Amino acid sequence: MFKTKARRNSNRNKETTFRHGSSAGSRRKTYQARGKAGMRNSKVWLYVLVGVLAAVAVPAVSFVAAGVSARNKPGPIETRFARAARHLMIPRSARRMKNPETATPEVLASARQHFADHCASCHANDGSGGTEMGHHLYPRAPDMREAETQDLSDGELYYIIENGIKLTGMPAWGHGGDTDQDTWKLVLFIRLLPHQTKKDLDDMEQFNPRSPADIKEEEYEKQFLNGQPAAPGKPGPH
Amino acid sequence: MKRALAVTLAICFLAVPVFAHGTDKHVIGVVKTISDTKITVETQTKETQVVTISPDTSFVKSGAPSSLKELKVGDRVVIHAKPVGSDLIAHEVRFGKWDSSGQAGRN
Repeated sequence: MFKTKARRNSNRNKETTFRHGSSAGSRRKTYQARGKAGMRNSKVWLYVLVGVLAAVAVPAVSFVAAGVSARNKPGPIETRFARAARHLMIPRSARRMKNPETATPEVLASARQHFADHCASCHANDGSGGTEMGHHLYPRAPDMREAETQDLSDGELYYIIENGIKLTGMPAWGHGGDTDQDTWKLVLFIRLLPHQTKKDLDDMEQFNPRSPADIKEEEYEKQFLNGQPAAPGKPGPH
Repeated sequence: MKRALAVTLAICFLAVPVFAHGTDKHVIGVVKTISDTKITVETQTKETQVVTISPDTSFVKSGAPSSLKELKVGDRVVIHAKPVGSDLIAHEVRFGKWDSSGQAGRN
């Protein structure tokens, strides 16, 4: 009778121990498990830290190692990093702005003229960036007909034209508001860049800025084609 | 001193017929030979320049769009060309009288 009671008590104790895990052994196991999980977490954080440092350090080191020279174009990592930074630094409210202008033929003609006069020196009339300046800027003037530009929202394009982009050749053309009609018209024209015809491009040439050397050169060519002896003192390379 | 100045000025004037426009070169002279792919030009300094014609080359005669067929040996030409390797690739060939509207003269 006594033995039976004692056995029952013993079994009850075991159940209690099992249920509450209050024995030394199980506590040790719990701590070990927690320790392992903690170490696993620490390793994960270490990997994350190393990854973040590498992501920042590799482009930073390559950027610094390249010196101040703008001869070489930025590498793919630097380009991706810079584009991501640009995206993050344009306020969300700006990215969501809607273009209040409508793409009528008159609006597009005005924007085309504006682009030829103000933007084409670097971006080229066709938006390819294929100009002497565009080829040598750091970063290079982008081909705005491509997805990297065309996929930007109207608001992003407007914000970039108005505010410029730090540490690039892109100046701030506006005052930072959201009501500059000319800038919104330019955004419409940028959407048209992949579809410009040769006639459109030829028409733009008359609005491209010209230096005194260009004007002198044109005068020289005019005289030559008209059969006159070409005037000396023609412009040199420019 | 006068001699040095004279030589310098002479070099400047002789350098007229071929000069750069940004990365472009302007070849100015008289057409000597024409083929489907090349135009040979004798510049005012009697140098020979061979310019390659590409499918993108545009021809402008007296300010109006034209074609290679209308260009003749002996014509005065102004060719805007891009140096590619050792070649000069023409992107615009102007000939005929200058259009008074000035449209042909833009670059």
